[in-house]
Amino acid sequence: MTRILGVLGLLIVLYALLIESNPAAGSSRNLMYVANIQGRYGVVTLAAALVIIVGGIDLSIGSVVGCSAVMFGVLMEEGVHPFAAVGWTLLFGVQVGLVNGLLITKLRLQPFLVTLCGMFIYRGEARLIGGVVSPAQVIDEHPHFEHSLNTLTYLLIGKNEKGALVFPAMFILLLVLAVVIGFFLHRTAYGRYWYAIGHNELAAKYAGVNVDRQRTIVYVICSMLASLGGILLFLDSSTIQADSAGAGLELYAILGAVLGGCSLRGGEGTAIGMVLGAMVLPVLETLVSFRGLKNNVIPAVIGLTLLVGTIVDELIRRRSRVHR
Amino acid sequence: MSWILRVSVVLALAVVVACVPACSNKKSDKIKIGVVTNCTDPFWDLCEAGAMKAGEHYNVEVLFRQPEGMDVAKQMPIVEAFIQQGVKGLAISVIDPKGQKKDLTRIASEVPLITMDNDADADTGRLCYVGVDNKEAGRAVGRLVKKALPNGGIIAMFIGSELSANGQGRTQGVLDELATPDANGKPETRTINGQAVAGKLYGKYFLMDGAPTTDGGPEKNPQQYPHIMLGRLENVPDVCMIGLYAYNPPAILSAARSKSMVGKIKIVGFDENPVTLKAVAAGEIEGTVVQDPYNYGYKSVEVLAAVARGDKSKLLSSPLPYQVVTKDGGETQTINGLTIKFPKATDYENTVKSQFASVGK
Repeated sequence: MTRILGVLGLLIVLYALLIESNPAAGSSRNLMYVANIQGRYGVVTLAAALVIIVGGIDLSIGSVVGCSAVMFGVLMEEGVHPFAAVGWTLLFGVQVGLVNGLLITKLRLQPFLVTLCGMFIYRGEARLIGGVVSPAQVIDEHPHFEHSLNTLTYLLIGKNEKGALVFPAMFILLLVLAVVIGFFLHRTAYGRYWYAIGHNELAAKYAGVNVDRQRTIVYVICSMLASLGGILLFLDSSTIQADSAGAGLELYAILGAVLGGCSLRGGEGTAIGMVLGAMVLPVLETLVSFRGLKNNVIPAVIGLTLLVGTIVDELIRRRSRVHR
Repeated sequence: MSWILRVSVVLALAVVVACVPACSNKKSDKIKIGVVTNCTDPFWDLCEAGAMKAGEHYNVEVLFRQPEGMDVAKQMPIVEAFIQQGVKGLAISVIDPKGQKKDLTRIASEVPLITMDNDADADTGRLCYVGVDNKEAGRAVGRLVKKALPNGGIIAMFIGSELSANGQGRTQGVLDELATPDANGKPETRTINGQAVAGKLYGKYFLMDGAPTTDGGPEKNPQQYPHIMLGRLENVPDVCMIGLYAYNPPAILSAARSKSMVGKIKIVGFDENPVTLKAVAAGEIEGTVVQDPYNYGYKSVEVLAAVARGDKSKLLSSPLPYQVVTKDGGETQTINGLTIKFPKATDYENTVKSQFASVGK
């Protein structure tokens, strides 16, 4: 519980400041908009958090998001039905995770290096398969996909055919995913294996856990969630550029996970913490827009706020350890 | 534990508020006008200076943001936040006219919308476009090339992207200006320094490789391309290198300097990067075609402030004129119906410096 107090406090403060900044900031339209971005960030935060729990790291998340978004668009441009394209794109994520997992477990390569290389490879792949993709382009080439694409956008993003946000579907999706992952983490043997591996890999191995298999499974889930993030990005954005789509997202995802109580040393983290951690950055970004901050100070303000959040969080944890 | 929560909340609140004091959270009753660019660049600092000046003149509050990277996913949340804050007018530099059409149409139905620098389709409902005609500006670059190499020669072009509307317009403008009816992109292979080069002929000008070299943006080491090109063109007479995005002319210049080829080759530029202007003043670059982003910012806010007050008479019906900066400057001329100024490089440099200074750069 103490692990999420810091991030909860930070969120309350940020929301309070946001609502205080402008009457429109507290409107349901705005809160829904922010929630939706939180949903998209949250999906990749869950991905990063799971890998962190087993003591790994995945730096390729942003590139996998970008590559999946481009691939999803290119597949549909090539005539693959939108629903089938979702399946193929998720399968791409599975393949990426499998490669990462096998390289890390079977070849005993450092996760940092493997996924750093992945970061370059999948960014390059995105640029190779397509420069710019957009739903408009897909519909231009295949007008009969329009209905399916609109349905997908409505179900996953919550936007109607005019592009107006009707309900925060991505946030709902995040909650559903968090419940599923929470169930696995906190209620099944898998979760216990993952925490055990993160805490002490050797001990887990001697206790009979198939460490390699469990780690690979987690990397597969991670990259599949990143691919889902790519699909969401495509449906939510009006245009995807292979160069920039999803760039740097892995760091936001890791940040969300750590703010939400995951330790980079592994073995710690809760599903609810991940959701709360992922919610911080979108509120903060909206807050700086609403407060009319000058461009040049925005990165510093965001960095400082997160640092303060981290310090407060750490102080609470130390307190709780002392009082334990 | 509850006291820890309380302390943490109060502490976090105190520090965050301390971090955000500079923010002008003035609850003013002034009309708000939003300006959102397509990326972060010194070019946009000049635009911001103009927008802020117009804000003072027309008594409106200007919200100006430069999103990071050419990323629609970063641009749209800012636009949305501006709309939520109740801006009475919005100016956007469009990243992808086709992809963003749906969003822009929706936005135009909510607030008066104009495009600047990069246009969108007129049927999005955008009120007008504030910017130069990139094809015409490209033609001006072509004229500078003709002046630099009146007897023809070899040209090499560099640009960030051929996908964007302005990139395509500029490139086409240059080539249209150089082309003649019998040599308009005619394929030709020449042997240069012992190497066969497949290029295209536009009038008396041989375009290396038949297309501009694209470098993907300022952060992707754009110097390397002119450097390689200069290596292929060593000791070849009558060479002109053309840089069409703001950072390209400085990249060409730095490559030419490293190979001691400044003065031996001609360079023609685009935009008002301070390095480019200095080099034009020094005679190292023949000239540069500038868009005057200060004016983009000023005009956008002027138009939107008027629209917000119910006056649509200030909407622009034609593109803004570009300007041609050369070492010695020249008389104002009327070209293709546009009144084109030819400022002197040192004068224009001072203007740009004072514009930068007004936004604290």
